[in-house]
Amino acid sequence: MFKGLTNVAAARVWHGTMPVQYLYTAGVAGERFFQTLRRKGVFAVTTCAECQVTYLPPRLYCERCFADLSEAWAEVAPSGRVHTYTVVHEDQDGRPLDPPQVVAFVRIDGTSGGLIGRLLHLRPQDVQVEMPVDAVLAPPRRRRGSMDDIAGFAPRRVLPRRPTP
Amino acid sequence: MKRKPTRRVAVIGAGLSLFMRRALDTGKELAYYAASQALQTAGIRLKDIQAVVMATAPDAFDGVHMKGEWLLDGAGGVGKPYLRAYVGGGSGVFSIISGWMMVASGVFDLVLVVAEEKMSSCQPHPQGAFLTIFDHIIERPLGPNLLWIFSLEQQRYMAAYGIRNEDIALVSVKNKHNALAHPAAQVAAQLTVKDILDSDVVAWPVHRLMVSPISDGAAAVVLASEQVARRLSDRPIWIQGVGWCLDTSYWGNRDLAYPRYVEKAAWMAYEMAGVTEPRKQIHVAEPYDPFAYKELHHLEGLQLADRGQAPEDLARGRFDRTGELPSCPSGGLMGVGNPIAAAGLMKVCELFWQLRREAGARQVPGNPERGVAQAWGDLMQIGTVAVLGVR
Ligand SMILES: [Zn+2]
Repeated sequence: MFKGLTNVAAARVWHGTMPVQYLYTAGVAGERFFQTLRRKGVFAVTTCAECQVTYLPPRLYCERCFADLSEAWAEVAPSGRVHTYTVVHEDQDGRPLDPPQVVAFVRIDGTSGGLIGRLLHLRPQDVQVEMPVDAVLAPPRRRRGSMDDIAGFAPRRVLPRRPTP
Repeated sequence: MKRKPTRRVAVIGAGLSLFMRRALDTGKELAYYAASQALQTAGIRLKDIQAVVMATAPDAFDGVHMKGEWLLDGAGGVGKPYLRAYVGGGSGVFSIISGWMMVASGVFDLVLVVAEEKMSSCQPHPQGAFLTIFDHIIERPLGPNLLWIFSLEQQRYMAAYGIRNEDIALVSVKNKHNALAHPAAQVAAQLTVKDILDSDVVAWPVHRLMVSPISDGAAAVVLASEQVARRLSDRPIWIQGVGWCLDTSYWGNRDLAYPRYVEKAAWMAYEMAGVTEPRKQIHVAEPYDPFAYKELHHLEGLQLADRGQAPEDLARGRFDRTGELPSCPSGGLMGVGNPIAAAGLMKVCELFWQLRREAGARQVPGNPERGVAQAWGDLMQIGTVAVLGVR
């Protein structure tokens, strides 16, 4: 049934690359999301009232019923819950990462979606599914209106403590 | 999906190359081995084939842009109607769905379906080819690694049902063991759960031995209309039903604990096949297992286990080759290897051999009359399902 193949551990090889570069636009909905993030430090979302879905990242249209959502904007606080997480030990080229990075998918409160991001200010063993977290944003003057404005997510502080006199 | 196609379609031949880490053979040559073998077992020549389907996943693996066209000659497509079937990792099973449409429609009587992948070309690691599948505005700035997404999904699956990593590691043990009986296998081994969990953590909770390998390889089948199949073959294996379905492209909007899109695809195929009680009417399963947890996830989506219960069923031997419902008797992607599109079609080849009782040392006991093969892919959002049977 099976043809014999020549299995050479070190077959002679040639190097090649596919050099191409791109300039991407954020899109109409994406641009509004990033400008809102830069100026106000909150997340812009769109809602389809009919389907009861709040899109984050925001969409210009409802993917379920094709409603136009260009006038259906709202804003939500950049906070949510750890829906799931991983501790990454290798980079994308398969090289070890030291220290390992904690990455989470965070469901954003008041939306049907979420964002992935690094988890900051906690040890891997202290992460829990469903723990509340807040986005850690770059200071307003340093924001450029891109994903880099979100440094990651950190455990929510219970109440701001008053400095003891 | 109540409508039934009027023309029946059968698989009458299958072929497979060896799966290996780095083949000297080009993708075209691998495709040629599998395709010529499928023709040979069907007892026909290339000139008898009226149209060709080629399944091959992202161009970036082989490093050849528009590689479907580049692979044309190895797939036997020169001078014929030719179609590239491409839904990422789901392509292997989607390839016979595409070929089935060509024959069921009445346009062709004999179609050759080939699947190929040569992942070893991609340097330093094929994972790099996946960086650009993530949303270029929202996700790519984080430099996501493909393994992140699977680890996040496995973690959610475990959290939702209280599943332990030991339960999932058992998939690797089973499939690598099953693959010992597969002559084309790349990573067959006799291992224990401890061996799996002692391997490096790639992205917790996923360990190295819970991930399928980088592979080169090809697979092929010959499809025939009913009239032609009865003339050419004394044991045609019928494609009783096909189904496929895509979930949203935004993976953050999906249910990570349960693959709804696999369920939808499965019911489409089951209804076409007249299957109303999958657990009784399916005798052998080849669900897609690129990661250990994925086989369990998919068995649940295929309605072959209750939600969150597949790990328990696995632990009590239900999915062993000699169990109540053999799952991945081939050894799957975890054992035979994972040349993406070819791995999906390898599962269809396995059903062909199992249902004809030609699987040799891998043969499941009894008289299996119906099997299901499933693959998964695109942006981790598609389920592709085919139900095959002896009548
Ligand atoms: Zn809607």
